[in-house]
Amino acid sequence: MPAVGAIADGFDHTWRPRLDSLLAAGRGAGADLVEIFLERTDHIGVLAEQDTITSVSPAFGMGAGIRVFCGERDGFVSTNDLSDRGLLQALEQALGMLGLTRTSTPALGFEGLGALADFAGAKAHWLNGCPSLTEATLKLLEGTARLAHHGRHLQARRASYARDWQSVLVAASDGTFAQDIRLHQSLGLNVLAADGEHRAGLGRRYGTSGRPDDLRQWDADASAQDVCASVGTMLYADYVEAGQMPAVLANRFGGVIFHEACGHLLETTQVERGTTPFADKVGERIAHEAVTAIDEGLTDGAFGSLSMDDEGMEPQRTVLIENGVLKRFLSDRAGQRRTGHERTGSGRRQSHAFAAASRMRNTFIAAGPHTPDALIASVDKGLYCKSMGGGSVGPTGQFNFAVEEGYLIENGQLTKPVKGATLIGEAKEVMPRISMCANDLELAAGFCGSVSGSIFVTVGQPHIKVDSITVGGR
Amino acid sequence: MASLPTPNPQPTKQTPATLNPEALGERLQQLARSSGIQRWDLGASCSTDTSVQVDRGEAKQMKGAQRSAITVRVWNGDGLVGITSTSDLSDGGLARALAGARDASSFGNAEETPAFSPLATAPLASLEQPLHEPQPILTLLDTLKQAERDLLARHAAIGTVPYNGLAQRSSERLYLNSDGARRHQVLTTASIYLYARAEETGRKPRSAGAVRLGYGTADLDIAGCIEEAAERTIAHLDYAPIETGHYTCVFSPEAFLDLIGAFSSLFNARAVLDGVSLSQRDSLGSNLAVPFLSIRDNGLHPGNVGASAFDGEGTPTAPLDLVEGGVLRNFLHSEATARAFGVAPTGHAGLGAKVSVGADWFEIGATPGSDGGQQGLNRFSHAGPLVVIDSLSALHAGVKASQGSFSLPFDGWLVQNGVSRSIEAATVAGDIRAVLQAIVGFEGDAKITPDGLCPYVWVEGLSITGEA
Repeated sequence: MPAVGAIADGFDHTWRPRLDSLLAAGRGAGADLVEIFLERTDHIGVLAEQDTITSVSPAFGMGAGIRVFCGERDGFVSTNDLSDRGLLQALEQALGMLGLTRTSTPALGFEGLGALADFAGAKAHWLNGCPSLTEATLKLLEGTARLAHHGRHLQARRASYARDWQSVLVAASDGTFAQDIRLHQSLGLNVLAADGEHRAGLGRRYGTSGRPDDLRQWDADASAQDVCASVGTMLYADYVEAGQMPAVLANRFGGVIFHEACGHLLETTQVERGTTPFADKVGERIAHEAVTAIDEGLTDGAFGSLSMDDEGMEPQRTVLIENGVLKRFLSDRAGQRRTGHERTGSGRRQSHAFAAASRMRNTFIAAGPHTPDALIASVDKGLYCKSMGGGSVGPTGQFNFAVEEGYLIENGQLTKPVKGATLIGEAKEVMPRISMCANDLELAAGFCGSVSGSIFVTVGQPHIKVDSITVGGR
Repeated sequence: MASLPTPNPQPTKQTPATLNPEALGERLQQLARSSGIQRWDLGASCSTDTSVQVDRGEAKQMKGAQRSAITVRVWNGDGLVGITSTSDLSDGGLARALAGARDASSFGNAEETPAFSPLATAPLASLEQPLHEPQPILTLLDTLKQAERDLLARHAAIGTVPYNGLAQRSSERLYLNSDGARRHQVLTTASIYLYARAEETGRKPRSAGAVRLGYGTADLDIAGCIEEAAERTIAHLDYAPIETGHYTCVFSPEAFLDLIGAFSSLFNARAVLDGVSLSQRDSLGSNLAVPFLSIRDNGLHPGNVGASAFDGEGTPTAPLDLVEGGVLRNFLHSEATARAFGVAPTGHAGLGAKVSVGADWFEIGATPGSDGGQQGLNRFSHAGPLVVIDSLSALHAGVKASQGSFSLPFDGWLVQNGVSRSIEAATVAGDIRAVLQAIVGFEGDAKITPDGLCPYVWVEGLSITGEA
């Protein structure tokens, strides 16, 4: 038996006989569908603090996830052992979960794997095209130096870089046979400013997929200026006064409100659990007519873009909501089997250790007809959320997210900066209150943690106005 | 098509992955020697997991996992440290990890180089951690189905248990270094969580849950988990909005431990040195909290299911007083931070090029010999309105640890004139330093939770934002 590492080093058509055998064995045991996901990863993380590189953390890994469906039930086993024995043991364990046992019976209904859909071929050079460690460290040190140059009262300056390379091969007993290479790079700048009792911390993240040269192109000076300007403003900001008020959310990462408040509720995993209020609302109005929302995996270089999902399906542009009317849910294999919603190329997972689930990719509210200034001018007293922190959605649809950089709107004008705001609400109630969308759609990279782990996503929107939302504060 | 071995009629059991410290140490020593690497250490783990989830009487998902991982650090000729992690424990994988770590060491931080912990060979505390044989997954499934049935039967409004799981794990950890340190721990654990969703006609859905940990599935207090999940969920059915304002709050043990955990950088020497803690190097000895509060980190407490006997650098786990009588007494340390402070490592390190530091398990309560604040607190005999904070949400988004502020959604109740009513939706906001100075006292006995030991904690004057 070849060494584990040697096997992992190549995902290509030569895996076909072994995968054919495993899939045939699974079908022969009585499984409706067997899916095998193979993965090899290569990661680098680099951290610069002040003017020193304080951490360089390479990591590499491999593994397989084997999923067996029988009716609506499924069993899933993951392993780091890619030897023949390891994969067979994982398959047998997954079959056993469904009360199935491998037999000598020939597989019925399995015609063998189809032609290899090779999305990886054109990407073979990606890993070597990425910046070297020396380039990465110099670029990060440039970032922290520019922070020092532009910032005042900075107590901590950090720049971080992560490069995640992943080679995957997906094979399923419905004939799916596909391979891909993914490359994600992200950069973060974080600062903590302190002046006496005043403290403010702030960060920005930039991320792309499939662009090996990305770090080299990063404009460290512009990013540092942006971060320093924001933290300088927020350092002396007062705490926001709590209450119900209109809010204007800026474009780019402001899209996290839709991601958290509504996007998760349009995944079939939520339909399966019975935790979305929109399960039976396709064709009905669930949002203000100003809202059209889209999830897609196609935008060139976006963090959530894919050539194929983690079930081997090419992604789509999925219109979720059109002029306020619910059009479609995001669905994966399990979602299609259990809810009837057709797959949308949205089966995603953090790694082989997770079964794929219906997850968002690049999710955004479409641009509207207004200028951002028109939205602000329409508010007498409210909150302008220029920059968002993270957020989450609870099991009954309540969402919350932190406002990292906020300003009061008074008489249609931005006035003083405020901090400590949290926006809370329920999707069902807030979506009809998004009454205006501006014409400045932009996307921002982020990470989304959910049932199938932490994945690369893009959120986005133009400036939007929410007529009334609960703002938590002091 | 490749041929597979003849099927075995016996059901396949997942073979637990195992680590052989002697063999792994020897392999690494040989590989290091052949690469000219003199000084190295290694942290490794492997685990075998099985888990089930159910949905209205049917299996939703059954999962198994076999995981292995190692992290190798090497010191180069200039004394700089590099690191690499991998899930590939083959000879090829180890060789590649060593080579990667050696390459990374060229970028090691000359201003702060980790060293072996001076306590990496010190005696370890003996932990009472019985090892359990794993149960067949179909047995887990039957157990969880029954638990779901029992919970659904507790109230007509409980329609689903959308988040649930029963899991068991067999795991091993080890730490080795080229000076001969060898730590090895074998552990089995199990957990169950039940998160119910209830809805009454014309009202909003409500949800709450509970979790239990044990050393094996037979140890799990499943009945207690069902009882707690049902009680919490039912207690939120009758809800009303709350007026925005300032209230005296009663934190549940879980909520207060969550809050302290989110601000544990107060006690973290790594964060102090990095300038991102609210504490400074000279903060030890200062008054951080009311004079009757004690906070102790004690990973060895018998209530800490799955405790580690040693940290990522091989330092023994040990209790450490952080706050005593309201005074900040000690910081949590790794080898490097301890060296910087001139103290001994405390057993709270990870393993890395830059070693992280983290708390284990808190014991929070009245300082022995103090008055413990107001005595005999009872929310149902209190005159004014009280907000009981049962559980906090979104700590990752709503806590600014380096600034001290927080603004967090919570589930809880408003108690007035002895009557408790669930709060529809609200956030609590404040500053952790103000919270620690505004503790009024404690209610009830300390309760063991997955994160620590703590009684109900009363805090004055917190800002609550409601939707009334």
